[in-house]
Amino acid sequence: MGYALVQILNALSFSALLLLTGLGLSVVLSLMNFINLAHGSFYLLGSYVAVYWFASGAPWWLAFPMAFAAAALAGALLERFPFRGFYARTHLMQVLLTYGLSVIFADLMRWGFGAQILSPELPEALQGVVFLLDIPFPLYRLFIIAAGLVLGVLLWLLLDRTLWGAVVRASVSDRGMVEALGIDTRRVFAAVLVLSAGLGGISGALGAGMLAAYPGLDEEVLVLALITVVAGGLGTFRGTVAGALVVGFALTFSKLWFPEFANAAAFSAMAALLLLRPNGLVAPRQRQV
Amino acid sequence: MLLAHRPAAAGLVAVAIALPALWAGEFHLRFLAEILIIGTAVMSLDLLVGFGGLVSLGHAAPFGLAAYAAAIASQSLGGNLLLVLPLGAATGMAVAAVMGAVILRTSHLFLLILTLLLGKIAWEIVFHWREVTGGADGLRGLPPLSLGPWELSDARSLYLLAAGLALAATTAARSFAAAPLGRALIGIREQPLRMTALGYSIPRIRFSAMLAAGAIAGAAGALYPFVNLYVGPQSVHWTLSATMIVMLVIGGVGSLWGAFLGSAAYLTVQTYVSSYTDRWQLFVGLVFVLTVLLLPAGIAGGLRSLVGGWAHGRNGNDRGA
Repeated sequence: MGYALVQILNALSFSALLLLTGLGLSVVLSLMNFINLAHGSFYLLGSYVAVYWFASGAPWWLAFPMAFAAAALAGALLERFPFRGFYARTHLMQVLLTYGLSVIFADLMRWGFGAQILSPELPEALQGVVFLLDIPFPLYRLFIIAAGLVLGVLLWLLLDRTLWGAVVRASVSDRGMVEALGIDTRRVFAAVLVLSAGLGGISGALGAGMLAAYPGLDEEVLVLALITVVAGGLGTFRGTVAGALVVGFALTFSKLWFPEFANAAAFSAMAALLLLRPNGLVAPRQRQV
Repeated sequence: MLLAHRPAAAGLVAVAIALPALWAGEFHLRFLAEILIIGTAVMSLDLLVGFGGLVSLGHAAPFGLAAYAAAIASQSLGGNLLLVLPLGAATGMAVAAVMGAVILRTSHLFLLILTLLLGKIAWEIVFHWREVTGGADGLRGLPPLSLGPWELSDARSLYLLAAGLALAATTAARSFAAAPLGRALIGIREQPLRMTALGYSIPRIRFSAMLAAGAIAGAAGALYPFVNLYVGPQSVHWTLSATMIVMLVIGGVGSLWGAFLGSAAYLTVQTYVSSYTDRWQLFVGLVFVLTVLLLPAGIAGGLRSLVGGWAHGRNGNDRGA
């Protein structure tokens, strides 16, 4: 019983991480129709910022805003050039451009931060374990679940309940109309991309305590986040949540049940899921105009 | 247009193949053989990407699994070329059939993710099935390739073999693209709705394209272990699939022969820049991003517009291949 609970919490903490990373990818993909394969680089940048910030002795909780800011800054620069020119291009060209950029960033980060595995020195407040039904569970993972919940709800409120969110969604549906209302949609899209990059950074900072930081992690996280977004269904917030839960639980439990072929089993399950539900778990209502 | 219809081009290709065989040393011949083999696999990917608009991020699976099949078969049965090559092509075709069955009805991003997932599954199996594939160590100590009484183990014969395969594969791919099936493949990329209305079955055409591309990639994969004297899980990894797309774009999508330029450019950078600096990946990434930004049709597209402009000025014939 306690064992099952711990495994479920493990899966949930992984899902929370996937949710945050996936949301960053998903807002850009579903709102701007832009595939950003450099999103894993934002994640890894956030991880490295957190590792160095925790080691520096500054107030630990500032690591997360700092990771957000660092990745958002990188996103803002990239948005200026070259992303902006590729929003209207085909998916293939977007994939090629951002994959090439991710290769460059991966090598730059290997250069700057080294090729070894860096594990952060967790702050004292987040160290240690709590006992759930007499089984120890790392406190940090509970922190990740809580942070994932809070940030997910905040983002949903921002996009779904504020005027700014309405402007973003309107710019997607009918860009010309929004422009006619006197709103600069280029700025709106830039802000969405910066937000997405920042989300990638902050999820990297959170994930550093669980997955550490090393070259190649950017690709692993990117692939899992892509699967999360696509398996969940494009264009809906609920879809990404569902996708994160499915991928998180599939990966965690296949490690328990098939330790040797864990990833193969989990990936097969997801491929099967995509075959059965080709548009993802939560398919958005198609609007035919 | 097939080479047989253009004697001048055929002669040029023959000279281009014969020159290195006469002059190049051991190292360069093996290097050229690798370029031709990887280039053949990339060219088969061009059938999918350039003609069908099917961006597969799992093309290393038919290539790499065929390489493993050839290597494993040669360990017990010997490196008979007439066994290894058809076995590789069949393996590639079988893998492509599985992938094709999965992606029949998807497109765009879903297709990308599904092929990526399938490629990752293939890698996981190869990496963890140690008794058969050697796991992370891969397979070494392969017997030399042979064709009847001749042993094809020196660099020159391996190079000529790779060149022969590349030529045969390019001819096959060109005739596929020129056949009604290839035209229909372009048609379902451009106008899926109209093609369906005309009575074409999109899944069936896609499936045939997957089979053709898989067979060519598999044949190339079958030779790969014997040139490197080694096959490892890296040959199935999804980064090789991504690298193939990078090569294809650098060379030029939709031209078929551009694939060889792309693989030559990429492998040359990888081999020579990496001996000067550890930052060769940065260099490759920069070259790639600059290609996407400045030369979206790749080297082949750039050359073609250069030559096309010249030919156009000369006789007004600008048909392209």
